[in-house]
Amino acid sequence: MGIYDLAAFASKEFVMHLTVKLSTTLRDHVPGYNPEAGLQLAMPEGSSAEQLARHLNLPLQDIKIVMVNGRQRKVDDLLRDGDRIAFFPAVGGG
Amino acid sequence: MAMTKSEVRAFFTPYLRAEYPAPSASPTASCGRGAPESTLFVSLTGLRAWAKLHGLPEREAMARLLYFNIWPERFRRNFGLFSAQDMARLLRSRILVLGCGGLGGHAAELLARMGAGFLRLADNDVFDESNLNRQRFCTESALGRPKALVLRQALADVASHLDVEAVQLEADEHNLPDLLRGVDVALDCLDTIAAKTALERACLAAGVPFVHGSVLRDEGFAYVNGGPTPRLAELYPQGQSGDELAEARREGVGTLAPAAVACLMVRLCLRIVLAPPSESSGAGAETDGAGAEEVAGVEEADGTEAGGAPCPCARPQVQESASASQESAAGGASAGNPASGYQPAGNMPAGNLPAGHGPQVLSPLYHLDMSVPELERFFWE
Repeated sequence: MGIYDLAAFASKEFVMHLTVKLSTTLRDHVPGYNPEAGLQLAMPEGSSAEQLARHLNLPLQDIKIVMVNGRQRKVDDLLRDGDRIAFFPAVGGG
Repeated sequence: MAMTKSEVRAFFTPYLRAEYPAPSASPTASCGRGAPESTLFVSLTGLRAWAKLHGLPEREAMARLLYFNIWPERFRRNFGLFSAQDMARLLRSRILVLGCGGLGGHAAELLARMGAGFLRLADNDVFDESNLNRQRFCTESALGRPKALVLRQALADVASHLDVEAVQLEADEHNLPDLLRGVDVALDCLDTIAAKTALERACLAAGVPFVHGSVLRDEGFAYVNGGPTPRLAELYPQGQSGDELAEARREGVGTLAPAAVACLMVRLCLRIVLAPPSESSGAGAETDGAGAEEVAGVEEADGTEAGGAPCPCARPQVQESASASQESAAGGASAGNPASGYQPAGNMPAGNLPAGHGPQVLSPLYHLDMSVPELERFFWE
């Protein structure tokens, strides 16, 4: 199996493609973050939102709300291929 | 001093600023019978004269005249966006705005201009230079002055008919029930997660729908919740520590996000204020305001226009209150059902959830990002 076959195999079987949106202060941890597009990235199958946050070097204590496909989830919930994840800090100003 | 419908319209002839013809497709646009009736838009001077003649507060005079297709000129550009019934409901609405900073200043102004009848403004803070970038009524001359009092004074110049109560105190679990007493809806314009969470709990305990707003940098959240489940405690199960709060207060809050989120909040507030009573209440379309009182200063509609029969436009309260009690007596709504006692606009006792304002009044969580800009909806479990 050549290297290209391996890549194709990995992309089909072991990798999830995710869209990630970051809110306010969490954007500071991802240089060049584009708020319109968000982030498109791949994570190993079976990754949790927490693992995704660690991968992005986001401070876990600052993540207060995790939304996956428009609904609130816990940080240790597992993700699925194609998920759209949004991380929020506390948004409490008036 | 009772007047016929024609006499009321004639009274305003010297004060007429505009007259819109009745829609041709709707020959009974005004009152369900008789000839099509135009809509008159009359000056503030005329409204004040009519209100004084009948011993009514201006906002109540405005609400009653709407049933005669007589609109204040100040609301002419609301025409087509709001029905006369909507405007009357709004003029009789009672709204708590808790927090008079970025969100509260904009929300209060929007409500005042739109036609709200009563605002209770609560804030214990004074205006600071750092507020100048975003807080609607923070001006250089207002620095150091109490926010609630500055807002009340400014709103009196925007809308003299508006009844504004300014309360200088910091909301807490002890005074929240009093702040919520007699209001139809509460707007959360507070600036800590803890205070916002406490307000939502107090609102739902008192049966007062809660409208949340929050901002940080160029983003914000808004939702409306009529209960029974508090949602902020679900969003922030860990709350916000003192250190986190101190850090958050050093963060930026832009000029746009508070104004935009305040717009969302007011839109959600209208869902409550303009919601008709639920059908199960049997209360029909209107029980607002005067209860079983007659429409002061107005006799039954002219015989020539209404065939001698009472005009539903002229006497909405009397007829629909009677209708409500008949249906209630017939078992249409049980005494224990909060839907049977819908009386907004100040007559609602605290703790009595108004009909139609139950768990079904729950919007998605709106997330607004003014840096894109983008509005996204998140749904509750």
